[in-house]
Amino acid sequence: MAVVDVHRFSESITCHAWSPDYSMVALCPNNNEVHIYKSSQDQWERLHVLQKHDQIVSGIDWSSKSNKIVTVSHDRNSYVWSLEGGEWVPTLVILRLNRAALCVQWSPNENKFAVGSGAKTVCICYYEQENNWWVSKLIRKRHESSVTSVAWHPNNILLATTSTDGKCRVFSTFIKGVDTKDSKAGSPAETKFGEQIIQLDLSYSWAFGVKWSPSGNTLAYVGHSSMIYFVDDVGPSPLAQSVAFRDLPLRDVLFISEKMVIGVGYDSNPMVFAADDTGIWSFIRYIGEKKAESSGSSYSSQFSEAFGKFYGSQSKSATANDASESRGGVHDNCINFIVSLSKAGSPKVMRFSTSGLDGKIAIWDLENMQEELGHQF
Amino acid sequence: MAGAAEFVEADNAIMAEIETKSQKIESLLKHYKHIEALKTALEGSPLKTNDERCKSANWTVVHRVIMTIKDIDGMLNALDAEYYDTLMKYLYKGLSTGDEPTCEQCLEIHEKLTERAGLGCILRCLTDTTNTV
Repeated sequence: MAVVDVHRFSESITCHAWSPDYSMVALCPNNNEVHIYKSSQDQWERLHVLQKHDQIVSGIDWSSKSNKIVTVSHDRNSYVWSLEGGEWVPTLVILRLNRAALCVQWSPNENKFAVGSGAKTVCICYYEQENNWWVSKLIRKRHESSVTSVAWHPNNILLATTSTDGKCRVFSTFIKGVDTKDSKAGSPAETKFGEQIIQLDLSYSWAFGVKWSPSGNTLAYVGHSSMIYFVDDVGPSPLAQSVAFRDLPLRDVLFISEKMVIGVGYDSNPMVFAADDTGIWSFIRYIGEKKAESSGSSYSSQFSEAFGKFYGSQSKSATANDASESRGGVHDNCINFIVSLSKAGSPKVMRFSTSGLDGKIAIWDLENMQEELGHQF
Repeated sequence: MAGAAEFVEADNAIMAEIETKSQKIESLLKHYKHIEALKTALEGSPLKTNDERCKSANWTVVHRVIMTIKDIDGMLNALDAEYYDTLMKYLYKGLSTGDEPTCEQCLEIHEKLTERAGLGCILRCLTDTTNTV
């Protein structure tokens, strides 16, 4: 199997992020704290507890070059933590939100970070050298409901967001003074901050987990209706595909190569999707098993009981118990976060980690699976 | 702004289509071509309109066919995967009627369809509030 390490840190994990050298992990054990663990000789040792937020910490990101941790919480605040003399020191970032912050991500150049919130806004925060503090600029327009997930394009300017209004949008977050120095020929010529580049109406239900492919050419996001959406050539004439799949909805996705995506969600088992040579995306397999057969053994014993009651006399006792035990349960409950463990910007992701409501973090290594996954990887 | 008149026209067109469909289906059923009948019934279902008449007219047609099906496995084998979601929506509509023979039949088909199409199919029925039957 592809799992390298599994460890249960707490009852439930909301989100997690890795240090630049991947030796330490910062996670939120479903409360208002952030715990940092270091792995040493097969043991996980808790090094720090960051206590500043009043409510659950909904998003954590750890920048790999500047070694700063940004945390956002339902208490509408965000802190940027810097390591000073062995201790993590927080700096408050005033987001100007009147609802919970739901997700956060550092930009590729780590000079900005984006926060999605329940106030139907996205905050783009950047550091103002003169005043020595973080300033937040809000994208107020367009979203009709909570912003569930944000993702930065490799060019450090475009930001994709998904929302519970079912739509995925791409905005420009060009900020004069922060981005001008980096303006290369390829970047979108001086688009205004907050300008919506594209809006994708593919989903009829809540949208989650948006990510860009390593080159920034393709976008993937999931809908709560057990669908995953792929958009190639994001721009004025995008090629969108909706892929419906058999099982429970996904919550998050990760591009492991230009043409392969891993999705995680309520099935507690990562799913692999790939694009064939003509560019058509489809579900390939669950990561832990061979191409699964339909029906029967797919349902856990809980489902079989429920189905038994539902269908009454035509009981399904035959299919019942070999059930989920055989499904290779690494996670016992919904996986809601997947993070890459390869250097940012690398075209292929060999290792990634997942965390879920069961309080476990699992590390997956795809080194030995290259053949099984095929040439798209 | 599309006037109300335009919607009514489009709806009337749909009603007419459903009429023709219904006649076609009657003849298919007479010839025991149940699978064809179901395909015809599900094709062109008025998912996008809000008009109740269209929806209930199509439901009557689909209901008629569902009740005549005896060989569920064979029927599902022959049905294209793109119709699974629509069929599932109609099954739930049937289950909501509370009428005993309808519910029994719908439940039987539901069991087989879930085996085939998975929980995702049910999810799509529950979460899709724009395309309803």
